[in-house]
Amino acid sequence: MLAAALVASLAACAAQPVQPWQRGHLARWDMRWDPDATQAALAEHTHFSKEGSSGRVGAAGGGCGCN
Amino acid sequence: MRAFRFDFPSMGCPCSLQLEAADEASAASAAARARAEVARLDEKYSHYRDDNWLARICAGARGDHGIEVDDETANLLDFADALHAQSAARFDITAGPLTRLWDLQRGRLPTHEEIDDARARVGWSRVSWVRPRLRLPLPGTRLDLGGIVKEYAADRAAQCCRDSGVMHGIVDLGGDLAVIGAHADGKPWLAGIKAPRDPRQPCATIEIAGGGLATSGDYERALVVGGRRYSHIIDPRSGWPVEGFASVSVIAASCLVAGAAATLAMLLGIDEGGAYLRELGLPFLCVDQAGRPSGSIETLA
Amino acid sequence: MIHPSASLSALLGAAASLLPAAHASAASTDDAINRASYRFSDYDEDALAPASVIGDGKRYRVLSQVFGLDTRIADGRFDLKLDATHEVMSGSSPWFVLPDAQQRPIQVLSGATIRDHRSALSAALTSDPGARSNTTWSAAYSAERDYHALSAGVERRQALGDALTLGYGGSFSHDVIEPTDAALDDRIARATKNSASAFASLAWVLDRDSVLQAGVQLNAEHGYLTDPYKLFSYADAIIPEHRPGERAEGAALLRYRRSFAQIDASLHVDYRYAQDSWGLHSHTLEVAWYQGFGSGWRVVPALRYYSQAAARFYSPFALVADGRVNYSSDYRLGTFGAFSTSVNLRKAIGRWELSIGAERYHSAHGLALDGGNAAVPALVDFTRAYAGFDFGFE
Repeated sequence: MLAAALVASLAACAAQPVQPWQRGHLARWDMRWDPDATQAALAEHTHFSKEGSSGRVGAAGGGCGCN
Repeated sequence: MRAFRFDFPSMGCPCSLQLEAADEASAASAAARARAEVARLDEKYSHYRDDNWLARICAGARGDHGIEVDDETANLLDFADALHAQSAARFDITAGPLTRLWDLQRGRLPTHEEIDDARARVGWSRVSWVRPRLRLPLPGTRLDLGGIVKEYAADRAAQCCRDSGVMHGIVDLGGDLAVIGAHADGKPWLAGIKAPRDPRQPCATIEIAGGGLATSGDYERALVVGGRRYSHIIDPRSGWPVEGFASVSVIAASCLVAGAAATLAMLLGIDEGGAYLRELGLPFLCVDQAGRPSGSIETLA
Repeated sequence: MIHPSASLSALLGAAASLLPAAHASAASTDDAINRASYRFSDYDEDALAPASVIGDGKRYRVLSQVFGLDTRIADGRFDLKLDATHEVMSGSSPWFVLPDAQQRPIQVLSGATIRDHRSALSAALTSDPGARSNTTWSAAYSAERDYHALSAGVERRQALGDALTLGYGGSFSHDVIEPTDAALDDRIARATKNSASAFASLAWVLDRDSVLQAGVQLNAEHGYLTDPYKLFSYADAIIPEHRPGERAEGAALLRYRRSFAQIDASLHVDYRYAQDSWGLHSHTLEVAWYQGFGSGWRVVPALRYYSQAAARFYSPFALVADGRVNYSSDYRLGTFGAFSTSVNLRKAIGRWELSIGAERYHSAHGLALDGGNAAVPALVDFTRAYAGFDFGFE
């Protein structure tokens, strides 16, 4: 019974899309995937050149000979 | 450039237009359009009447299939819906039955039964609003757009003046202001912020060059029972008055947004409302029950 | 104001359809603004403990400068981002590892102090920048004395209904390696490497305060993937390291953002798992907290944990000649874990936003979640300090 109610309420959540005006919080600067893209790229480059795995999901910026 | 002033009553309060135009004819024609727009909105949305557009919409919306509303009404309902969500259900255009319980004329506190009975008829979340279709499933539900329409009318009136070619002036609808444009010489307008207990008496004077200023306050004489003061700002979730500010004034890019911010801050009460105003980052002035002002608006006097 | 507050954006958004004109002028502060930015960063590696090192223990230092420009062009129909980077690198780097009498590893550093410059340019052009569906084309060029890389990519974002956004794209890079002192140590004179990458992601608006993104990425590299400057201690000989000529990598990514607008804060959580055909796999977890304090102040503390398990052909040295084909003692292919803590302080003043920050990175074999026991003697600890500003203009 409880499980059924839970599922129903979840379904209700999913069916109710977030309205454009409700996106206000999501549109905040600090809610971007990378709020400070320049800074993120610098940090990423540093970690990438010291670790074995290559960079994040997204267009690659080309390699470097750094070690 | 000459200055003209037009005073008129509308929406239950004294209103004025101050315009700067090259000649009287241009000013008068702009003023006529602006007055007509305010009168149109008063006629369409006044909640004191049983025979207007809003009343007809409410009647139609009580049917099984509800009613399709016009674009302007839909936009107002969307806005009301947004304020309801942003205030965690404190802003509610269906709250009329609850608010009336706390009228001074009654001279007594409502009983728990009365509050429960009114709460049963109140709740925006019980209204079915899927733009453009509105349905009011509960009998007796009425919509009161009074908390939005006056500010909206001020912005619309200012736009009417701009559309008529008058670019310098200010619209004042009972203390809610929309700037058409700064003085012709570029100087800002001096505007009075109305005092909480007496809307005709400004408690502060500020400079405003654009956008709008709105004040939300507890203007009517409060119900005092057993030495305790009960305000007219009712939290529709509990049915009881909010212990909050005496008034909140906000300056924003439009009178509509200023009014919404001020109304929400009033409903949120002193702590939450104050935090909300600071987070908004708009200039504001709060007056507490003892008449003490606080906030970020710099007053001239 | 560079960043209008969340509650204000929400109010303006709600009022937009009632007062279209007023909204257009008020909401464009963050979106339509052009930005110029500058960052300076000083990356400094700790010296290795002298007991286990031969050569100059003083390691790498990189001074970087990045100039960025982000601007709307063609009446706002395109957004153009340009970045120019200049770096000066100096210091010595790990060269090879020798076993001591007890077969413990001794790291040998390239005694010669490297001093090099890297210059890079990148450009990205986005069509319909304000829209929820748009396309970004990008190209980048990076040049060092001994290394050149040219890359290009395209990325498409596509709104699927109100709450979902699909992203996908690919990129390609062509790198040319021309080691200095090629005559020395049997170094190769010139080699190339090509890499291609494809990725897809799905972003969900979970509710008005949170979004989640899940993504996958495939990378393929082909060509000369060996580090021409690294040597390997193979039985009695010291020979250039050798890696496979191909590498395929798959990665999965989860990113979560949650807003706490009431207290002007937000939480960022990123997780990434990567696995490649060399046997190397890694976990990366990053958590950051963006906290506003009013009056334009903002503090962003962040924690990052990284763990990788070694590539199959990694070992510090080979004691006997066992006929192995691939071998490398590059610490970046070994098993290790790393913790990094950073803090960023920002202050917006009118059109300016100033930013300073620092990161401390510590890595150790024992911090790894899994992976072999082969020693990794040259693991790096570093401090990175940075400062810069953004400037918004019409």
